[in-house]
Amino acid sequence: MSRRSYLIRRALQAFVSLFIIATLLFFLFRAGLPDPTTALLAEGLSPEQREMVRRSFGLDQPLWQQYLLFLQNAVQGDFGFSFHYRAPVADIIWERLGNTMVLMLTAITIAYVIGVPLGAWLSWRRGTRADTTGIFVGLMFRSAPMFWTGMIGILVFGVMLGFLPTSGMRTLPYTATGFFDKIFTLDFLWHLALPAMIVALYYLGSPLLIMRNTMLEVYGEDFIEMARAKGLPERRILYNHAARNALLPVVTQLAVTIGLAAGGQVVVEVVFSWPGLGREILNAVRTSDFPLAQASFLVMAAFVITLNLLVDILYSTLDPRVSFK
Amino acid sequence: MILPSYFKSALAPLRFMLMDRLAVIGLAVLSLIVAMALAAPLLSTHDPRAVNEVEDASVLVRSGDAETGIVWRLENSLGDVAIQAADDDGTGNGIAVGREGTAYRYTVGEGWSGIETPVDADLNGVAMAADGKALAVGSGGTILHLDGEEWQAIEAPAPADLNAVAWLDAGSALIVGSGEEIWRLDLSPSPQVTEIDSPVGRGFPLYAVARDADGTMLAVGDRGLAIRYDPADGSAAMERLGTSRQLNGLHISPSGNALAVGERGTVVSRAGPEARWSEETVAEMRALRSGWVGDDGAAFAVGRNGTIIERAADGEAWQPASSESERHFRAVMAAGENVFALGSDRFVNRLAAPSADHWFGTDHLGRDLYSQNVHGSRIALLVGFLGALLVVLIGTNVGLIAGYFRGRTETVLMRTVDVMYGIPFEPFALILVLLFEPSLTIVILAVSLLTWRTVARLIRSQVLSLRERPFVKAARVAGASDLRIMYLHIFPNVMPLVFLELAIIVGVSIIAEATLSFLGLGPPQSISWGGILHNARLSGAWRTAWWWNLPPGFFIMTTVLSVFFISRSLELIANPRLRARQ
Repeated sequence: MSRRSYLIRRALQAFVSLFIIATLLFFLFRAGLPDPTTALLAEGLSPEQREMVRRSFGLDQPLWQQYLLFLQNAVQGDFGFSFHYRAPVADIIWERLGNTMVLMLTAITIAYVIGVPLGAWLSWRRGTRADTTGIFVGLMFRSAPMFWTGMIGILVFGVMLGFLPTSGMRTLPYTATGFFDKIFTLDFLWHLALPAMIVALYYLGSPLLIMRNTMLEVYGEDFIEMARAKGLPERRILYNHAARNALLPVVTQLAVTIGLAAGGQVVVEVVFSWPGLGREILNAVRTSDFPLAQASFLVMAAFVITLNLLVDILYSTLDPRVSFK
Repeated sequence: MILPSYFKSALAPLRFMLMDRLAVIGLAVLSLIVAMALAAPLLSTHDPRAVNEVEDASVLVRSGDAETGIVWRLENSLGDVAIQAADDDGTGNGIAVGREGTAYRYTVGEGWSGIETPVDADLNGVAMAADGKALAVGSGGTILHLDGEEWQAIEAPAPADLNAVAWLDAGSALIVGSGEEIWRLDLSPSPQVTEIDSPVGRGFPLYAVARDADGTMLAVGDRGLAIRYDPADGSAAMERLGTSRQLNGLHISPSGNALAVGERGTVVSRAGPEARWSEETVAEMRALRSGWVGDDGAAFAVGRNGTIIERAADGEAWQPASSESERHFRAVMAAGENVFALGSDRFVNRLAAPSADHWFGTDHLGRDLYSQNVHGSRIALLVGFLGALLVVLIGTNVGLIAGYFRGRTETVLMRTVDVMYGIPFEPFALILVLLFEPSLTIVILAVSLLTWRTVARLIRSQVLSLRERPFVKAARVAGASDLRIMYLHIFPNVMPLVFLELAIIVGVSIIAEATLSFLGLGPPQSISWGGILHNARLSGAWRTAWWWNLPPGFFIMTTVLSVFFISRSLELIANPRLRARQ
C-alpha cells in the first residue's frame, strides 16, 4: 500500500471514529437524561418557554429525527444554546478551549524542554545516584494527584509566601477586548505561573522516562559504536547521534499528550479556578446544561482524534521503516 | 500438569522482582497499605464519621482596644475538664474552679496556676474575698474553704448540688443550690451551716447569688426566680426582676450596678442600687451563663458556642465580641485590667491541629482525620484493584481474540479500540458518573470502561508474534482447539505483560478514583482520600489547615508510587531487551 492511500484511509478512519463517538455520546445522553429540560424548570422557566426549548432541540420529535438533527447541527458547528449561560454554546466553547490550550501548551512545553535533555542526560549517567534520583522524582510527580500538588502549591506559594496568585487568569476586574488582548500581559503570566508549573511537573515524568529508556536502547545500536570508534567526544555522541534517534517515541508521546490536553486537566482547572474547557464540562453536567456538556465533549474528542491522526502522519514521515498496513 | 506452568509464570515475576531494590520497596509499601486497608477498624483511633467533642479548661483573655479592635484571645489550656465558675478579690487576683474538683489561682504578674483540692466532686461556684480567702461549692454538698494554701472541707447538712456562693461579710457567706437550698455559712467560731427557708419552697434550682450594695443578698434561678435575703433579720423574700426566663448568672458591682443573664440571651440589669430592673435587648439567642458589670457600667456576658457580648457603659447597646465560635463559656472574670472568659463544656473539636489525641488533626466537622485517612485506603485499593482486574480481563481477552483470529474479528475489535482512543478519559468518566447516579459500581466502570484500550493493543501485538511460533503450530497439528491454544498455550506467554499492565492500571485506577472523589463524584457515603481533599476544598479551611491536605495526597502518591516501582521491575520481565542493558 502506498503512503498516500494509507494516509487517506487513516483520515477516513478518524472521521468514522468521530462519527461513532458522536453517536455514542448522543445515545448516552438520551439514556442518562431522557428530558434534559427538566433542569430548566428549576431555573424558573415557564412551561411555554420550556416547550420552545424542547422544540428547538427537536425533543418533541422521535429519537431518530433528534439524532439526525443533532448530527446536522454538529456538522454545521451549531451546538445550540447553553441552558446555563443563555448564550450560543459554540462561542463559550471556543473561548474556554483557548484558555485551556494556553495553559496546557505552556505546561507541556516546559515539561518537554526540561524532560527531554534531562532524560538523555540520565541515560548517560545510568546506574548512578543521579539516575535513580531522576527516575524517582519523575515517577513521584507522576504518582501525585495534580489536585493535591496544586493545593500544596497554592498553600506554599499563594498563602504562606504570598507571591503568586492562586485563582483565575487575570486580576479582577479587568477588561480585555479579545483573547490575545487578555493573554499578552504580565498579569496573565503571573496567574499562569503556578498552574503551569504544577501541570508541567506532572507531565515531566513521561518525556524524562521515555527519553531515558529509548536512549538506552539506542546505545546498543551499531552507529553509536561507529561514532565511538571514530573517537567523537561522549557529549557529541550523546546529543548529536543518540538523542536524535531516540526522539521518535518522545515526539509521538508529545502529540498524544497535546491531543488529550484539550480535555484539560479538569482538576487543575478546578483547583486554580481556571476558566477552561475541563472545568466547563464539569459545571455543565452539574447544572444539567446538556448542550454545553455534549458539545464540549465532542470538541475534546475531535481534538484527540485529529492529534492521533497527526501522530500517524508524523510517524510515517519521521520513520521511513513504518509499514503502511 | 497444566497448573504448574501457570504457577511458574505467576511466580517468576515475583522471584525476579526480589532482585530489584526499588521493586522490593514498592512491594513492602504496598503490602503495608493493603494491611492498613484490611485492618482499618483496628488501626483507626476514632470512628472516622463521628463528630469529636472535647472538654477543656479554656481561658480567653480580652485584648486590644476600641481603636485596634477588641479580640478575645485563646490562652493556653489549664487542664482537660471544664471551668465552671470564677471570682476575683477586687485587686486583680482571682480563683477559678471546675469539674472534678479542679481549681486554679490567678495571680497578678504570674498568671494561672493549679491548686490542689481534697475533693473529686464538680465545683460549681466560687467566691473570693479581699483577703484572699475563698469558698467553693459543688455537687453532692461539697463546700470548701480556702485559707492560705489549703482547702478545708466543710460538712454540709445535706448532699445537695450547690451552684453558687457569695460572701456576706468576712466571716459568713450565702450558698444556693439546685433544690432551692439557701444556706448561710458562718465560719467562726467553727464552720456551721444554717438552712434558710425559701419563700417559694417548690424546689426551683437557684443558679447564682451575689451581695448587693446595701448588704443584702440576691439569689436568682429557674424561671426568673429572684430571692432577696436580709442578714439583719434573717428573712428571705421574693423579688421581681421582670423576666420569667431561667437566670444563670448574677453580678453586682460594689456601687450597686447589677446584671443578671440567662437562657436565650436574656439580660436584665439595674443601673445603681435604687434603679429598677429592666430587660435589655441583645442580638443573641443562645444561652448566657455568666455576666460581669463594673461600677462604670461596662459589662460583659458569656455563654454557649463562644458567645461573648459586651457593653461599654450603661445604656449603650450590647455588641457581640469576636472570639472563636466553638467553646462554651461558663464564667467571666474581670481581674484588674484583665477580663477572662472561662469554660468550656464539651464542644465540637473543629479544625484542631495534630495532637496526641488526633494524630492528623480534625476536619471542619470535628471528625478525626487520621481515622479517615486509614479508612480511605479501602476505597482506593478496592477501586484500584477491582478496576484494574476488570480492565485487564477485558483488555487481555480482546487482545487475545483479535490477535489470534485475525481477519474480520480483528478489524472490528481493533477499530473499536481506535474509537476508544478518541475519547478523553477524564471528561468521559465525569459524564458517566453524572449521568448515572454516583455509586461504587459506576465509579469502577468509569475508571475501567476506557482504560482497557491500551491493554488490548499491547496484548494483541504480542499475540500476533506468538501465534506464528512453532509451539502454537505444534499444538494446532496435535489437534488442540482454538480456545485451548489461546488460553493454555499463548496466554501463559503474555502473562508477564498482563501483570505489568495490571500493575500500571492499578496506579491509574487509584488516581482516577481519587480524581472523581475530589470532584465530589465518588461513591457516596464513603470515605476516600480524594473525598477528604474534596471536603477540605469545599470548606475553604484547607488554606490554613495544612494537616487536612497533606496526608491524603501523600497516601495516594505513596500507593501509586509503590505500584509504579513494582511495574518497573515487571517491565524488565515482560521485555527482556530492557533487562540486558541494565
